[in-house]
Amino acid sequence: MTNSSSDTEPNERMIELRLPSRLGYEKVAMDTAASLAKRMGFDPERVDALRTAVSEAVTNAIEHGNGRDSTMKVLVMLTARPDELVVSVADQGLTPLDQDRTVMTPRIEDSFQKQDKGGWGIWLIRELMDEVEFTTAPTGGNQIRMVIHLE
Amino acid sequence: MELSFPSELGYERVARDAVAAFARRLGFDQERIEDLKTALGEACINAIEHGNGRAPGLRVDISCVCEDGRLMVEILDQGLNRYQQRNVVASIDTKLSGLAPLRGMGLMMIAQLVDEAGFTESQDGRNHFRLALYRNQKTPVAQS
Repeated sequence: MTNSSSDTEPNERMIELRLPSRLGYEKVAMDTAASLAKRMGFDPERVDALRTAVSEAVTNAIEHGNGRDSTMKVLVMLTARPDELVVSVADQGLTPLDQDRTVMTPRIEDSFQKQDKGGWGIWLIRELMDEVEFTTAPTGGNQIRMVIHLE
Repeated sequence: MELSFPSELGYERVARDAVAAFARRLGFDQERIEDLKTALGEACINAIEHGNGRAPGLRVDISCVCEDGRLMVEILDQGLNRYQQRNVVASIDTKLSGLAPLRGMGLMMIAQLVDEAGFTESQDGRNHFRLALYRNQKTPVAQS
């Protein structure tokens, strides 16, 4: 992997994780993010929220962005700053994310009517994290950037 | 799986948790995973303290692959100090009796915990340290 330290500010530390695009590997991202968050001093409740958000983001990248193509990778970047943890999850963009889906609030009544009960992931991430934005990764894939603040 | 982290003491704990999750995903027993975590922690501390000489701004890189039920974990530092192979390795008894330096006991412990351990040849100026864990025959191990 490349030396990322040159891209970071003096008071921030970056961890990079590159995972196979296969369901189950989101647990590696969850445990890595939780380990760093605990080290930074986040409360257990916030660590659990982070685990859930990272799980949703990586699962979306595997299932949708990379279209379950196991030859593709998911890149997770964890940036620890004195007052916050920034988590970026990027896929290889086989399927570009529909921007309308990033701001939608799903309705439970609609889910009852549908066979597919999905579509709650992005809403859940917005509920759990302090800042969320959707961008295009430098590699051209979809990228979600989530921030959780230390209180 | 690949992981890259700052060469600072304490971050080896994040690496231990990441690699443990990877091994768990592949179906390794918890007991073997604990051995792997201990061995990996030692190897990362060696990389930070010796290979990278505790110099600021450097990185430690880890790659994990699983082939034919053999999990291989490679730890790379930036080779500020290159590992020197000694022709004669002092035994633990010799070390404890004060007839040889105490250094090097981490490598001895690592060798006891995993199925393969050692530095591998490299031309890139970095130290490459490899650990391998074989699957428990009773436990199915998925390909990574």
